[in-house]
Amino acid sequence: MIEVIKLTMPFLLEGLWMTFKISLITIFCGSLLGFVVGMLRTVGGWPISMTLGIYIHALRGTPFLIHLYLIYFVLPMTGILWLQLEAFPAAVIALSLYTSTYVAEIVRGAVQAVPRGQSEAARSTGMTAWQSMRHVVLPQAVKMMIPPMGGIYVIIIKGTSIVSVIGIAELVRAGEHATQRHPRELMLIYGMTALMYFAYCYPVLRIARWAETKFGTVRLPS
Amino acid sequence: MFDWILDYYNWRVALQYVPEFTRGMTATMWISLISLVLSLVVGTVAAIMRMSANPLLWRISAGYVQAIRSTPLLIQIYVIYFSLPALPILDRRLDEIEGGIIALGLNAGAYMSEIIRAGIESISKGQVEGAKSVGMTYLQRMRHVVLPQAFANVLPPLLGQTAVLIKDSSLVSFIGVFELFGAGLTVLSERLMPNEAFLTVAFLYLVIYGIMLFFSNYAQRKLGGARA
Repeated sequence: MIEVIKLTMPFLLEGLWMTFKISLITIFCGSLLGFVVGMLRTVGGWPISMTLGIYIHALRGTPFLIHLYLIYFVLPMTGILWLQLEAFPAAVIALSLYTSTYVAEIVRGAVQAVPRGQSEAARSTGMTAWQSMRHVVLPQAVKMMIPPMGGIYVIIIKGTSIVSVIGIAELVRAGEHATQRHPRELMLIYGMTALMYFAYCYPVLRIARWAETKFGTVRLPS
Repeated sequence: MFDWILDYYNWRVALQYVPEFTRGMTATMWISLISLVLSLVVGTVAAIMRMSANPLLWRISAGYVQAIRSTPLLIQIYVIYFSLPALPILDRRLDEIEGGIIALGLNAGAYMSEIIRAGIESISKGQVEGAKSVGMTYLQRMRHVVLPQAFANVLPPLLGQTAVLIKDSSLVSFIGVFELFGAGLTVLSERLMPNEAFLTVAFLYLVIYGIMLFFSNYAQRKLGGARA
């Protein structure tokens, strides 16, 4: 058993590194996209808000697995060259789109949670709508956006396990390969994989909880 | 006149697979339904254990929730599907559907327990004291006073988690369960037509999602006044 751990550890760690890379790129791209979508949905008129609402519901209503397959298998069928994605960019794009829906809801919830009086007061001192958003509302809203982001990050980490199906050598894939080499130690290897995810996610959840006590929490519109 | 659409989405092929899609859709719905019931039972028990004064009980419950929340569902499905048959109480191998449903139920149960706990904590002390003063036992208090109000209070997040559960059920196709996503995989492997396979499946998931939204609106109206 020790022997198997020694033999498979390097491969699993390589998988963990891939998981780490994908989740880090995704939290960045997904948050950025989600922020833009959330802000547009909050300040934009009804056509923009409705379009983005459909976008969010369409992504929320279908499994991530489907997004992955649509981007990896269906987009190339259009015949457009730059839509012929490799596995890695396809995975990152799918995960980022998925993440953006969650982030957008958080951004919208946080902006709406800032009391109306704040922006009214800002406008009455002669600030433009943009200035009041930039200097008064957003600084308060951003504080409320921070704690739920920990939960989002964990959702992304767990989401990366699914991209193994399009052939990315992340942690689950590494575990599957290891079980093929040592089929008798299947439980041990999946146990090790689970522990690695735990070691990655648990601290994030703890930090998120700490942030919640520090910055307070925002009630999301569901 | 719509011939150019056929290049991208050949509905005639999709129509040929109507039986598969229907079978997949019903499978997804009843797998989700059984998992939902299981997760609500597990979640309620875990929530009550978490709030008990006995340190052993609440530690078990907290550990269960932490373990589920910090590992991906795919790994949980693999571990349960491959490990449960090794337990001495089972003399046969679990079939894929049983393994998948148990994994989905336990996974969703952890999230449900957090929601249900919030619901139970939202019930004012006076309710419990009132129930005590008319002589109700602990179980009676839970059953008739606390839980009905708790569930009504947290209905929206419970329904949100149910939507997540329905989507997550697509992952059990990896241990060989035939459900909606599996139907898509069948079309892909038989016809090599990813558009017809996955656009249809995506649409059908949206239909299920729509049905759920409809019922959740109905339930919320029925329970009127329950706060979000």
